[in-house]
This record gives sequence, C-alpha cells and structure tokens, in this order.
Amino acid sequence: MRVTFFVLFLLFSSLFTVILVAYAQETPEVSERGKEVYEESCAHCHGIEGRGDGSAAENLLPRPRDFTGGVYKIRSTESGQLPTDQDLFDIITNGMPGSSMPEWESALSANDRWELVAYVKTFYSGFQELEETETTPRLINLTGKVKYSEKSVEIGKVLYTDLGCIECHGNVGRGDGTSAPTLVDVWDFRTWPANLTQGWTFRGGSSTEDIFKRFIGGIAGSPMPAFEGDTFYHFGLTPEESKNFALLEKKVENEEELTEEEQEEYDKLYEKWDTTVLAALDRAEGTELTPEAQKIYDNAMKDVFEKSWHLANYVKSLSPERRPKSAIGKNVLRSQYKEGDLPTLDDAEWGTLTSSYYPLVGQVIVESRQFNPTIDSVNVKSFYNDTEVAFLFTWDDRTNNTTVEETEDFGTSYIDGLAIQFPVKVPKGPTDEKPYFLWGGKKPVYLWQWMASEPESIKELTAKGINNAEEQEDQGTVQVNSEYKDGQYRLWVKRALKTEDKKDLQIEPTVFVPIAFSAWDGANGDVDTKRGISSWYTFVLEPVPSSRRFIYPPIVALLSLGLLVGLRQFVQRRNT
Amino acid sequence: MKIKMFTAFLVLLACGLGLIVLADNHEEEENNKLVFPKAYTTMKVSDGGKITGVVKFEGEVPKMKKLDINKDKVVCGKTDKYDESVVVGESMELKNTIVYLMDITKGKDFDAKANKPEIDQEGCKFTPHVQIVPVGVRLTMLNNAPITHNVHIFLNDADMGQDINKQQNRMLKKLRIKSIAEAGGPVEVKCDIHSWMKAWIAYVPHPYFAVTDEKGEFTLEDVPPGTYKLGYWHEACGTNNKEPQAVTVTAGGEVKQDFTLKLAE
Ligand code: HEC
Ligand code: HEC
Repeated sequence: MRVTFFVLFLLFSSLFTVILVAYAQETPEVSERGKEVYEESCAHCHGIEGRGDGSAAENLLPRPRDFTGGVYKIRSTESGQLPTDQDLFDIITNGMPGSSMPEWESALSANDRWELVAYVKTFYSGFQELEETETTPRLINLTGKVKYSEKSVEIGKVLYTDLGCIECHGNVGRGDGTSAPTLVDVWDFRTWPANLTQGWTFRGGSSTEDIFKRFIGGIAGSPMPAFEGDTFYHFGLTPEESKNFALLEKKVENEEELTEEEQEEYDKLYEKWDTTVLAALDRAEGTELTPEAQKIYDNAMKDVFEKSWHLANYVKSLSPERRPKSAIGKNVLRSQYKEGDLPTLDDAEWGTLTSSYYPLVGQVIVESRQFNPTIDSVNVKSFYNDTEVAFLFTWDDRTNNTTVEETEDFGTSYIDGLAIQFPVKVPKGPTDEKPYFLWGGKKPVYLWQWMASEPESIKELTAKGINNAEEQEDQGTVQVNSEYKDGQYRLWVKRALKTEDKKDLQIEPTVFVPIAFSAWDGANGDVDTKRGISSWYTFVLEPVPSSRRFIYPPIVALLSLGLLVGLRQFVQRRNT
Repeated sequence: MKIKMFTAFLVLLACGLGLIVLADNHEEEENNKLVFPKAYTTMKVSDGGKITGVVKFEGEVPKMKKLDINKDKVVCGKTDKYDESVVVGESMELKNTIVYLMDITKGKDFDAKANKPEIDQEGCKFTPHVQIVPVGVRLTMLNNAPITHNVHIFLNDADMGQDINKQQNRMLKKLRIKSIAEAGGPVEVKCDIHSWMKAWIAYVPHPYFAVTDEKGEFTLEDVPPGTYKLGYWHEACGTNNKEPQAVTVTAGGEVKQDFTLKLAE
C-alpha cells in the first residue's frame, strides 16, 4: 500500500515537473495589463489564445488574424521578416480599413496599446527568438524618395504593367485584374486585390510611403507578392546596359550568330546581372556580404528604389487623397438644369459635373446578411430639363456577373445589380417621416431595379419591405443604358419628371427628394437581401437658372443710371 | 488516506490523458511531413547497395480533374491540363511519390544535378510536380513564355518560417529562390496568378530521396550497407511515418521494396 502510494507520488511529481517545464518554455513573461485589455477588447475576434477563433470570427472576411502563425500583412520590414513593434502599435492604433479590424486610438490609451503589442507578440515564438538573438527585423529603405510629378507617374505606369501588378489589380487599378476572381489567402479564404482607386480601403494606409512598403515587402498571408530587387528585370544593369543586353538576348533567342565583341559584351553583362542577383540572395539568406558585393548590391538597389518610388507615385495618383464626403449637407446631389436634350451615356458633358458619393454598407439587419460587402459606394451625377431627368450611376465591382453560376471553389455566384430607391410620396418637410430605409414599410417606396443580366432594361417596383416588392404593372417609362468596363459599372437612367402612374415618384424642381441604394456583387454571394445598402440621402433639381436673373441686373443698372442722369439733368435744368 | 490516494490517482490519470492528447495532436501534424536524421555527414561511398521498387495505387482511382484554364489562354491553354494530385498509370503505378531513407546519418554527397534544382513553368504548369531541393541550395524557376507568374512557397505551413512570395514578371526567364537552411516539408508552391498551378517542394539534408516516375519506379543508389527505415510520402496518400519499412542493404547488392498506397482518410 505504502509502496504504491510512493510510486504514485513519484510519478505524479515527475509528471508535474515535466508539465511545468513544458509550460514555462512556452509562455514567457506576460504583461498582466496587456492580457487584461486583450481579453476584454480583442479576444472576441482574435480568440483567447490568439488563434483568430473568437466568437465573432466566423462571419468575418478576412478572418481575424490567428496570431500563432506570425503572419503580418502591414509591415515596414522586408519580405520574410516580422513586423516591428511600431508596426504593430500603428495597426492597433489605426485599424485595418476594408476589414473588420477596428481602430483603437479612440478607445484605448497609448499605454494600453503598447501593452497589447507586447501581449500579441507572446502568441508567436518567432518574436521571442528575435529577442533572444538580439536581432531586429530588417527595415525597408525609405530614403531617396522621388517627388510626385506627372513624369514620375508616367514612368510608374509602365512599371505597373511590366512588373505585373496589372494581373491582379487590373488595367486602371480597380482590383479587377484577370487573376482577381481566383485569389485565395493562405488561410484558404477568398480574397480580392485592393481597388487602387479607393485608397481609403487600404489596410495599411495610402500614403506614398505606405504603398511603397506594401509592394516591396509584399503582403504576407495574401497572394500579393513581394517586389524585391531581383524581381526587377535586369537587376544590376544600368538602363543603358539593360537596353544593350535586351538586344543581345533577342539575338541569342533567335539563334543569330554573335560577333566576338557582342559575345564578350553579352558575357560581361550577364555576369554583372548574375553577380547582383547572387548578392541579393546571399543577403536574403542572412549571409554577410563582402564589401564589394555590398557595393554592387547597394548600387543596383538605388535604381530599383527609384523605379519603386515612380511606381508608388503612379499608384498614389489613382485614388483621391481622401474618401469623398458623402452626399449630404453641401454635398447633396444637385441635378443640373439643361435646355434641350439630356446627355446620353457616352456624352462628354457628364465630365462637367462632379459626382456625389453614396457610401454603402453590408445589409446585416435581415436574414440573409452580408457582413463583408465588396461595393464601396455609388457615385451619381444628374441633369434635367423641362420634362425629363437623367442620372448617371457609377460603381466599382471587380467582376461582371451576368448569370447565376456554380463555382467550384467559391460557391454560387449571382447576378450583379443596382436598385435606386425613392419614396412614392415625397415628405412634405424635414419633420414628415420617410418610409423605412430598407425598401419601405407602411409607407411604400418606388424603386428602379437594374440587373446585369439585362443591361438594357430596368424595372419599376413598389415595395413595402425588403421582402415585399412588386413589379409595377405599368412599366416602360424609364429609359436605360449601361456599360461595364475595367471593374466599373456605368448605368444611365432617364425618366419623365411627371408620369400618369400613381405609384411613381413625381419629381419637381427645388423639392428635396429622398434617395437610397442597394447594390449586389454577384461574385461576393450577393442575392436578394444579401447586398450592400445605403441609408436615405436626398437629391434636388437645382432651381432653373432663370434667364431673367441674368437680364435683370443690367436692366436695373441701366434704369438706375438713366434715372441718375435724368435726375441730374433735372437738377441742372432747375438751377439754370 | 485512501481518498487522498484515489484523488492523486485521478489527477495523475487526467494529466496522463492530457499529455497523450497533446502528443497525439502533434503527431497528426508530423504525419504528413518527411522524417530526417538529426545530423548527416558525407563520406565517399564505394561499396554501396541499391534500393529499387515500384509504388502502386490501390483502390478506386480518382478521376484526374481537368483544370479550368481561365487566364492567359493562348499560352496556358494550348494543351489540356489535369489536376496531378493522383497520377496513376495503366497498371496502377503511382507517380510523384517520394521514397527515401529516414534515418541515414552517413553517406554520399549530393551530385551536380541535385545541386541545380529547377522547376519549369512552361505552359503554365509546374514541372516536376514534386521537386527535391537540398538544404542550402537555391531553386531556379524557369519561365520561357512571356507570361507573368508569382512563386508562392508555403513554408509557414510546415513551420519553416515566413512564406516566400515573389513575382516573376514576363521578362524574367529565370528567377532564383533563396535557399533554406533547415530540412522540412514537403511544402506547397503555388502561382496565385494562375490558380491551377500547384506543386510540392521538399527541402532535404541528404541525397537519398527519389520521386517515382510514370512507371511508379524509384531507385536509391550508393547506399552504405546497413539497415534503414524506408519512408514514403505522397500528397494524397500520406506517409508511412508510423510504420516505416525496414530494409537491409548489402555491399554492392540490390534490395527490392515495393509499396502499395491508398488514399489517406
Ligand atoms: C471585430 C473584430 C476584431 C477586433 C475586436 C479586433 N480585431 Fe484585430 N483584426 C481583425 C481582423 C479581421 C484582422 C485581419 C484583417 C486582414 O487580414 O486584412 C485583424 C488583424 C489584426 C492584426 C494584424 C495586423 C497585420 O499587419 O496583419 C493585429 C496586430 C490585430 N488585429 C490586433 C488587434 C488587437 C490588439 C485588438 C484589440 C485591441 C484587435 N485586433 C481587435 C478583427 C478584429
Ligand atoms: C497575385 C496578385 C497581386 C499582384 C501581382 C499584386 N497585388 Fe497588390 N494586392 C493583392 C491583394 C490580394 C491585395 C489585398 C491584400 C489584403 O489586404 O489582404 C493587394 C493589395 C495591394 C495594395 C493595398 C495595400 C493595403 O494596405 O491594403 C496595394 C497598394 C497594392 N496591392 C499594390 C500593388 C502593386 C503596386 C503591385 C505591383 C508591383 C501589386 N500590388 C501586385 C494582389 C496582388
């Protein structure tokens, strides 16, 4: 009996030690405060153990990060490196636009955010290894910035195609490249290339420096590759040498005989290129470079960095500096009066207007919901004349989905579409209640629904709720034309201001009319209630710029002048 | 007293079970990787033997799915392409299986060919589908068509550090990938730009690795006499890490060892 107990005791204590030791190895000192804040503010998304499996994670795309893998998208460090503490602090402070990762600047003190940096790092042993070996991640060299200029943008544009950004980000950068519909991240979820014309959706900021760091270092975890020196063409050759070498290469390719001199030149240039690439590889592998190799590498990188700044300037040029202000207050959509025919879809006249910006969010009120909408916004311009009003609706969508399709990797893809919503009866004033913004309720709404499957037609609906819409019996008073190009839809709609149909909205100049939108990105699984929506905004037909207004002032001026002259003559005459 | 003992026993049991669960989880992960010796030293092998064999597939052969070539069709779509995760010949020979020695600690060095591993992207397909890369050696990616690829190597999946993901633009006929210092894998390599392009890379510390060909055949040469554990790995059929095959090699002799593999559950 005693003996068994003793043996048990021994076994138990040794096991206990083993567990203790194992445990001690895995958890370094943790910041108590960091843990506390983490569990309160971050764990419901990132999980108590940092595995990205918090209770809210399931509906989110991209998924909250699993910190145990050590994968960080937004770094100021080279590819293959971990982020710096400052990177982590910045991402926690600013959040990740275009994903559900919130900013924490307003909710947490800087001190707490630093505690979080320390705590988040404990989930991945790579950070400890860095500390133990006293190494710091290698930073991307930001010196030698090329100032923004049209010339620089032009050079950058060529690189955008040559380096192959275009494959994913598309012709003009709307994230609609030919590879866009097939991309998955390393966690096996679908992902989309950033829309480079919407800088406010970038995860890591849209300054020229941010852009520069993103493509040089790559975005770990996403398909977006790193564009380091040796991924540039003829790394290490001067532009002149590169041109020469390209000519010689062509000859070799066509199996033309090289002269002795040419052969010598070819070998020399090849050798130079090769040596530079080898230096870059040595460096990436952590080998210390000889002073000569370092010099060759640094020299070559000067050229690469210069090109990279041009490219960053080009990408920067694609997007407005800031997210446009939504169409409220002084940005309300004002339809402009025009005499005679209204411009058609391709009329250059639309270029004279600035668009009004209507941001969209995912519809998460009614089943089925869209937690990860892909359509940022709808942009609108409008003209009207004495009898008609024309609108030009523009929105970005990376894919043109015109049919329902079963895809192998991404489930069902549906048909793209846009619905424009108005009340049937315009509220009499600001205090008069509008219909419920989600396709009406007791008060009905009047809708124009357009689907990419029938790009030349549009339906008039009346709805009393998101699941309670009916096509109007009287159709066909609305004209439509549309185009999909380079990741963008343009939809032109024209209707008479007044109609006979009681279910239609009647439009009058100077009356503020509520307007709202629903947009479907079929590739993102949008169908029925699953979609992007806006709340109510308003638009107004600007008062007719009455011609009298322009004639009156001169007449008044003339009259008063005449009066003055007359008065003077009268006075003069009286005096004489 | 009795109660105390009983509690102690229970606690012990719980701890034991916990440990077993932990260990098991770990094993699950290790099971689809290669097994390497702790250390390997090279020497001249003059009286080595040979291990040869054929790997065959057993069970219903999955149909090779035709790949959807949805991009750069002019170049990439010239020939039809099929998913190569299970390639089975007429008499059930299984291609792309790695057969190797798990526990060899002394033997020959890599030859010149092994030290120049290449993966060709001709026709927007990785060839070979399974490439062996010695540790410390750079892999070269070839691209003769004016097509832009990206070379995305999923090292992190095998705890081998951060993934490599580099663009190989249409003008770069050759892109060298940095070497890896520690053995590991196999890891997947993908081209995100052409989502159908997938292959495997094994980073290995010694040259006793072979990949079966169309006939399911493999050969390991110059094996110093001795008894070894012979392992295999196949992307869809898994490994024999739990029950490696013992083989005894004699000086100048040839051992035959065939394998029959089934789809992993
Ligand atoms: C509503 C869910 C949510 C909450 C709450 C949240 N995160 Fe995140 N977080 C995310 C998502 C989603 C991502 C991944 C975004 C992506 O991959 O584009 C992310 C990514 C991150 C990253 C990785 C950044 C990078 O460069 O890749 C860090 C670090 C991070 N979060 C820290 C925190 C901290 C610290 C907190 C708590 C203060 C927190 N998060 C709270 C959703 C959340
Ligand atoms: C293989 C496809 C692919 C290629 C090629 C590619 N990108 Fe990307 N890019 C992406 C994806 C996917 C994202 C979104 C990453 C994320 O947020 O997870 C992205 C995001 C971005 C972003 C936004 C970064 C942020 O903070 O959110 C920028 C800027 C960018 N890419 C620029 C470029 C440039 C410049 C090039 C060429 C030098 C390029 N990309 C090449 C796929 C690609």
